[in-house]
Amino acid sequence: MGSATTRDPVRIEVRGLSKAFGSVQAVSDLGFTVEPASVTGFLGPNGAGKTTTLRMVLGLERPDAGTATFNGAPYASLPEPVKTVGAVLETAFHPARSGRNHLRVYCRAAGLPLSRADEVLTEVGLAEAGGRRAGGYSLGMRQRLALATALLGDPPVLVLDEPANGLDPEGIQWLRGFLRALAHEQGRTVLVSSHLLSEVEQTVDRVVIVGAGRLVREGSIEQLRSGAVGAGMVLVRSPDSVRLAEALRTAGGTVTQEDDGALTVAGTTPAEVGRRAFAAGVELHELRPQTSGLEEIYFELTAGREQFAAHSLGSDTDTEAAR
Amino acid sequence: MIRLVRAEWTKLLTTRVWLGLLLGACAMAGGFAALFTGFAGQTGNNGQSLPGVGTTAYEQAAFGVSARATVLLLILGIIGMTQEYRHRTATPTFLVSPHRGRVVVAKLIAYALAAVPIGLLVVATDVLVVEIYAGARGAAPSLSGDNLGVLAGAWAALVIYAVIGVGVGALLRNQVGAIVGALVYLFVVEGIVFRAIPAIAPVLKWLPGGALDAMTATLNDTDLLEPWQGGLLLLGYGVVAAVAGTLFAVRRDST
Repeated sequence: MGSATTRDPVRIEVRGLSKAFGSVQAVSDLGFTVEPASVTGFLGPNGAGKTTTLRMVLGLERPDAGTATFNGAPYASLPEPVKTVGAVLETAFHPARSGRNHLRVYCRAAGLPLSRADEVLTEVGLAEAGGRRAGGYSLGMRQRLALATALLGDPPVLVLDEPANGLDPEGIQWLRGFLRALAHEQGRTVLVSSHLLSEVEQTVDRVVIVGAGRLVREGSIEQLRSGAVGAGMVLVRSPDSVRLAEALRTAGGTVTQEDDGALTVAGTTPAEVGRRAFAAGVELHELRPQTSGLEEIYFELTAGREQFAAHSLGSDTDTEAAR
Repeated sequence: MIRLVRAEWTKLLTTRVWLGLLLGACAMAGGFAALFTGFAGQTGNNGQSLPGVGTTAYEQAAFGVSARATVLLLILGIIGMTQEYRHRTATPTFLVSPHRGRVVVAKLIAYALAAVPIGLLVVATDVLVVEIYAGARGAAPSLSGDNLGVLAGAWAALVIYAVIGVGVGALLRNQVGAIVGALVYLFVVEGIVFRAIPAIAPVLKWLPGGALDAMTATLNDTDLLEPWQGGLLLLGYGVVAAVAGTLFAVRRDST
């Protein structure tokens, strides 16, 4: 693997990307930027247009409108695409070909030395399995082999579609560290799609959230967190919750009694709540900031948008039938 | 382009498809050669007699049977193209070479060149069987003159059919469909149906099967094109299929 110092940063810019399949508008006027030296999560429910977008970014599908460029150049214009962008879209291999031979095919096609095949196998932890037929690989091994294929050209950009699918917890842990190292230590631009925020939450620096083919939110994970509904909420538990609630209300807080006996207080801090409780002489059993999880924000942002695919396909069928 | 051609050879040699088809093609050529030699000079129940060992007709027919193995080279070419879709390796292939037409051209070149040694082995098997068996029956054919011409024609036909296979595969993309379709066309449509309709008989020589017959001597004494014309015509079919496939099928978005 190359060193970070020699790698030129590459920025992916997507502008006004649109694509329709028949009457289904898969992607609509989508625009976002993927920054170098960071891991960007490309998130959205199934059917939100993530894979279609990635296929257009990689020149595998022609957009109806818009552009996707790598430092200004579309994929098909890159002189050595494999040396600029490594991509994993499908984890499909010829079942009778060994993992090593699979990689050698693409070494040949890209004009890379065959020794790269063994180097990337080692990088992804498949050195031992390289000689075995890919048809016998587990789902996790296929993901690793697909990742190895993407790394062949030592590219400054990696585009990975659902790379955690089929990985066991240990594999996911490994992938997290691997992707962060690729971005932070080696300065690569990493774009990872997922339909589960929780899967990539600990990996990504930035997020691009799409729903129904449109951009819902773009920004750093901190920005997403600070926009959380639960920001400024404090959860407090006391054996004497009635008296505590009264004390907090007197101080001007909005207090809600939860089903399990806990209280949530809006527009305050744990320190403030603790001070009020101490002043009122109420015993506390639990006191913590209640930022609702990122997952909840994600659900809120994408709520009602996941039916998109099924709904539109249904209406498409209706139209067909009406003709 | 040379990189893409070499990548195709790596793909071809890293699975065993080529070996199976090579052995099958050799067995087919050797088997037909043995049958032809074994029944040479005998009279069938329809009253027609096969030419005897030692006659020119026998020798040309026995050396021409190599061309029957063209069907296996056709399948080799079809598999070479359609495996990209069947095993969904088209995506990484097109990521390396975003210009899909170049991938098809690379496959045409790679399979034509790969078919050269394969075809040679098939023809050699035919020659070996004929020389030994016919020799045992009294007259080993000489490897000269028209006999060499027939062998060369069969060899060229084997190579050209691999090219046609790539073209057909590019056009149809579906592996099973392309193989079944090609076999049905060659053996049923052209082999039986067209031959049974007198009105079509004059155009038969312009079709792939007729052009193949033109490249080698056969027992059928119908009017045929010159061998070189047959070869060019077959090559034309392969190229047309590949161009049409590139324009209408391969460049279509694959999912």
